Amino acid sequence: MKKFACAVAGAASLLLCAGTQAAEPATGSLTIAQAAESTMLDVTRAAAGVDWYILGNINEQLLQPDPTLEVKNWLAEKWELTEVDGLPVIEIWLRKGVKFHHGGELTSSDMAFAHKRLANPDVSKWPHYQAKVDHIEIIDDHHFKIIFKEPDGTFIPGAGLMRLYGISEAYYTSHSEEEIQQRPDGTGPWKLVDRKVKEEFVLEAHDDYWNQEHRPGVKNLTIKIIPEDITRVAALQTGAVDWIDAVPPAMIEDVKKMDGIATTARPSGNNLFMSLPQYLDKLPGRNDNPFKDVRVRRAAALAVDMEGIIEHVLFGQAQRYTTTTPGSAAYDASVEPYPYDPQKAKQLMTEAGYANGFDVNCYNLITPREPNVKEYGEAFYAYLGQVGIRCKLIGEEYAPWLARNNRSREPQNDGILTHMWGHGVVADPGTPWSGHMHCYAPGEGWGSYSHYCDPEMDAMVKEQATVMDPADRIPLLKRIGKKKYEDVAGGITTYVPLVTFAWREDKVDYKPWPWMGFWRKLQEIGIKH
Amino acid sequence: MLNYLIKRILQGVISIIGASAIIFAISRLDDPTLLLLPIDATPEMVENLRQRLGLDLPIVQQYLIFLGNALQGDFGNSYRWEQPALQLILDRLPATLELAFAGLVFALALAIPFGVLSAVYRDSWFDNFAKLFAMLGQAMPNFWVGLLLILFVSVNLGWLPAFGREGFDSLIMPAIALGWYPVAAMTRMLRSTMLDVLDSDHVRMARAIGVPNRVVVWKYALRNAAVPLVTMLGIYFANMLSGAFVVEVIFAWPGMGRMVVEAMFARDFPLLQVGVLFSAILFVVVNLLVDLSYGVLDPRIRHD
Repeated sequence: MKKFACAVAGAASLLLCAGTQAAEPATGSLTIAQAAESTMLDVTRAAAGVDWYILGNINEQLLQPDPTLEVKNWLAEKWELTEVDGLPVIEIWLRKGVKFHHGGELTSSDMAFAHKRLANPDVSKWPHYQAKVDHIEIIDDHHFKIIFKEPDGTFIPGAGLMRLYGISEAYYTSHSEEEIQQRPDGTGPWKLVDRKVKEEFVLEAHDDYWNQEHRPGVKNLTIKIIPEDITRVAALQTGAVDWIDAVPPAMIEDVKKMDGIATTARPSGNNLFMSLPQYLDKLPGRNDNPFKDVRVRRAAALAVDMEGIIEHVLFGQAQRYTTTTPGSAAYDASVEPYPYDPQKAKQLMTEAGYANGFDVNCYNLITPREPNVKEYGEAFYAYLGQVGIRCKLIGEEYAPWLARNNRSREPQNDGILTHMWGHGVVADPGTPWSGHMHCYAPGEGWGSYSHYCDPEMDAMVKEQATVMDPADRIPLLKRIGKKKYEDVAGGITTYVPLVTFAWREDKVDYKPWPWMGFWRKLQEIGIKH
Repeated sequence: MLNYLIKRILQGVISIIGASAIIFAISRLDDPTLLLLPIDATPEMVENLRQRLGLDLPIVQQYLIFLGNALQGDFGNSYRWEQPALQLILDRLPATLELAFAGLVFALALAIPFGVLSAVYRDSWFDNFAKLFAMLGQAMPNFWVGLLLILFVSVNLGWLPAFGREGFDSLIMPAIALGWYPVAAMTRMLRSTMLDVLDSDHVRMARAIGVPNRVVVWKYALRNAAVPLVTMLGIYFANMLSGAFVVEVIFAWPGMGRMVVEAMFARDFPLLQVGVLFSAILFVVVNLLVDLSYGVLDPRIRHD
């Protein structure tokens, strides 16, 4: 048996530095407001990002990033990655004394049940994340092994960190699917007490929560759903709510000037980029294929003043990135974004034989998922025109955009496409890179959203999908990131939106915690004494 | 009368079935499966979901299944919520009805006195004020009125809550925002018809025989001028029911409109179909009631 030198942490080292909440029992009430509403409240069935706003407070996983984005052991007290007969095995020691909201203690049997439920395609939206797991072997109540049938490079760092939620087998098998969704069970710091669709969620601090250092400092929390930006800000201003998420970019300066209001901004879990199709000559009515030439791709990257767009179109509420953002395993500070250099861009266009430019469709995504995406696209595509990449701007709403983006669907994309796909504010970009940097391989699962193709990149992307040991994986991801930058592979990386939270600083004690980059995990929110 | 009623109900049923067929066909132009799964879902997962939702069947077969189930009260589960679509809409319907009714009451409470008085005092300062008010009302969309109300009444004055549905206080501003446009339209309509009626022979006769002006205006003239107003009332009430979603979003009002619009963007077909079906039913019912009310207001057009 080969044992990799992976992160193994003892219980003592797991407790993070002192938080803002003391260990005394939570009391009092807070009312807060969120712009978007979670629909599905079952971790197995949930698929939309917004669902994790609530679920991230109810359910927990084996690992959890802390506020500094460092991944900590959470329900797992420690873990080891080993190899048996050439196949990976993750051995996990569960934390003792972790209680479910509706009673009972978390055991290995619950984790095995969670795996089976997640692997069941009739229930789960995530069976592909368990596809390489052969089975779970229970050693004792707090010790089990995840036995793989083949390596899965993104299992540990991928979305959801080891991808197993602590859910109660007893609760899930004694309640209907509808009941589970109405009153989900979990080990998290908050228990769902009531829910009124389109109105509110009522949560209660979990009295028996295992983490005494980092837990809510208030007993009752009501989350109102207020989709309209101005109304949400007005609700904070009038004191109707004590905390809000998603302060609209155009109002951030005004909110910061309000008396008694504190704000903080965090990078969202979403990465925006512009896909450049490399197969235009294969489409009807087109003989040239300008984006096949790396010089044209670089020219496009150099043609756009992203700093200007961030400042003036996105009101400063964005962060540039090249490979990934800080907090991701693949982050490489030495790889800087392409500068704004239209002269160099024109020179590259001339060298590539496009001195007079060319015409291309530009599909501009229209969606409220991130602020000002449409305006960012309009500005971006206008900049391309300055160096001869003449856009025919076509606005596209989210559902048809998704179909155009997906290579297996019609209509086939025939132009530049605004794209968004989270690269992991924590964790790593293995999954999105497999989706948009590998050549499209019908039926094989590679490159489903890819408009780029390069055999060398394919080999690297395939390799990362099998490398589980962080000691090998991180350098490999950084090599891919370097090539991605040099080759403008998978499109032009543009920005990660920032999400701003605001609260009444005389009343609320708040420390933002990430959960899949959404930052709606209310691990440490309380009343200021 | 009974024959007329039966005929109108049959027409209504045909309209409702037609609306359901149209929305069914239009909604099937898109495939929702990509929206319902994670972006990295495998092609097998997408196909599996399509089969489970019955989206792999021919559209005519899908529609017949939908109709068959609908006749038994089963409209299927919402794709996003995975809950019965009918129940989701029924739970939200009272809030929408409440808002639409309040908006209508607000509109009538202003439109009737404004319309009548501006006709009676034609070209006076009040008439000019009413015309200006009507013009402003038609020029300002309800989302703008709603936001102004929030900023002025909630934030600056602190009189009313900015959002939610908790008691009468929270209903006032959404009702004003929703009723704002109809006030303007109804005022103009009523003023115009009142001017015609006040100039008619029977009104002049009533005045000549000494009927008090108050009675002439508010009893006889208004009743005659009310027929077009009632027509308008029916149209606006139906529009308010189906078009309240903007106001519902602004005031975080938990109504059906918000849910249906979100269902449209999410390609949540079952929820969308139930929402549209309910809108169609309400539209048909309101129009039928309006038609029947003509006979009450004007015996000459009773459906005997």
